[in-house]
Amino acid sequence: MCRILMVHREIEQLSQTYYNKAYQHESFLKVSLQKKEVLAGCCVLVSCRLLNWPITMATILCLINADPTLVGEVYQEMISALKIEAPIVLITDVIETHIQEYKISSLHLPEEFAENSKDLTRCAVALVELAADSWIVTGRKPVPIIMAAVYLAWQSLRPTKQRLKTSLEKFCQIAKVNKYRPAVKRIAEIKEALCKLGKEIPWVREAVTPDNVVQHVEDILQHRYALLRRAMRTHQDALQEGRKAGFDNSLTEETDSVQSSELVEQTPNSSSVKQCEPNEEGAPQPRDGDNNPCTVSELHSGPHERNDVELNWGKRVLFAPPCVIRAKRRRVEQPELQDVTGDEEISDSEIDSYIRTPQEARDFALTQKMFEKS
Amino acid sequence: MCESPWSPCCTAHFLMDSSNEEALDIIVTNVVATFRTRCHLNLRTIALEGTNVIYKPEVGKVLMKLRKPKITASIWSSGKIICTGATSEDEAKLGARRLARCLQKLGFKVRFSAFRVVNVLAVCSMPFAVHLIDFTKNNRPIASYEPELHPAATYRIKTLKATIQVFSTGSVTVTGPNVQNVATAVEQVYPLLFECQKPLCK
Repeated sequence: MCRILMVHREIEQLSQTYYNKAYQHESFLKVSLQKKEVLAGCCVLVSCRLLNWPITMATILCLINADPTLVGEVYQEMISALKIEAPIVLITDVIETHIQEYKISSLHLPEEFAENSKDLTRCAVALVELAADSWIVTGRKPVPIIMAAVYLAWQSLRPTKQRLKTSLEKFCQIAKVNKYRPAVKRIAEIKEALCKLGKEIPWVREAVTPDNVVQHVEDILQHRYALLRRAMRTHQDALQEGRKAGFDNSLTEETDSVQSSELVEQTPNSSSVKQCEPNEEGAPQPRDGDNNPCTVSELHSGPHERNDVELNWGKRVLFAPPCVIRAKRRRVEQPELQDVTGDEEISDSEIDSYIRTPQEARDFALTQKMFEKS
Repeated sequence: MCESPWSPCCTAHFLMDSSNEEALDIIVTNVVATFRTRCHLNLRTIALEGTNVIYKPEVGKVLMKLRKPKITASIWSSGKIICTGATSEDEAKLGARRLARCLQKLGFKVRFSAFRVVNVLAVCSMPFAVHLIDFTKNNRPIASYEPELHPAATYRIKTLKATIQVFSTGSVTVTGPNVQNVATAVEQVYPLLFECQKPLCK
């Protein structure tokens, strides 16, 4: 495996040492041959990581052709048994080696599709860094992100009609790599992040959309930090405007609600009383360094709506993990039993509902026999 | 941190710090408890005479589902029973007792004993995203993160026997031997997550 990967001699020696140790360890003494092969792959993987050789688990999976779940299991067991602290591989470190797999140099492809790997790596690394800053990388598998970045980099380095029309599937075919389905989603997410920055480019007059953003990728990446600062400022201003407009509306609404509550004799409208107080226990502030007051929607929330507001804090920040921005409305299951102590009396009638009557039991047994016979 | 007396209920409010009046809801989603009946149980009889029962002869157990509380019990012929699905320790106890009564009514000489909560699963949502690489780097070797295997970083607190899974969205799942440990685990991990709520700025 080490020879195929062309790693340093030290990595080969280290992986051999780990394999010998693990082989003798009680967790791996009587395991199947397949598991032992997987163990060897894991030893190579961990040795590469410890000696700063960038490699993904996906590469090892291809090499040993094993089930990812099994490899994951063996890997976790091995590092726990041998007490190894493997450093995390940064996705940007792995890009260069990963791009070697893509057959898109001028040796393999005609000029309109070929791309030099140095430029491709540079552009893909910048795209991945942008993706990391926009919460697209954290928690996700690295290989589909790299694939998405390589594809977008390839398109943006020479954004001809032909390249822009080439789908990811076609790109993977011409580059002779296996397509990863999540890469399609990553492409959409990266494009969305690019659009947010693209909108801030002062010399671009037309609207920047996911359809035309690829043409502006080079500019966006070159000036990305400045564009990011502008985008954050624009976003803050928009939030302030929104709050101000909402606050003005709420003042009108609150006056109305207070007036209507005065008309109600017995029960004061307690929710409108809460609304008048500054809402300190509303949803937490977006962590943009501002001490922004809560948005007006929180001032009107009851305890149930507060959960929705908290869940959608992602909508108030410029970049957030995609699952937060498009948060699914969680079905709030009301607890069926309130104030349970565990020692309550249990009535017979409740228990009877779980027991068949003798007639039902006989019928059930008869039906079972009939099914067994047929 | 939490000023109000804490009780093992479905949700617990956790005040994030004394200067900040915001509260974090810790929602218990599953409690696993076991107990013993101190007598042999005939699984075929339970399958025949009980409703809401699934017999699994291949693994030698019976599954019985209660409606209130919503609990699923795995019943072995040795008299060992595992109840899952409760949302509080008290609910788990009530469900276990109801189940024991059911078995009594089916004619077994059940003595409810050795009731013990073995595992509690709770979820909590931080109001911020967490940068998992920073979190793992800051908390090695207690924290581990393998994005190619699982999207969450794992943080194990040995003293509490609690395992915390942290997702980049700020969602946190905690498993522990009881609700008190789970709540303490959240209190302990919160400041560590707070530190890692933004990627390092360049």
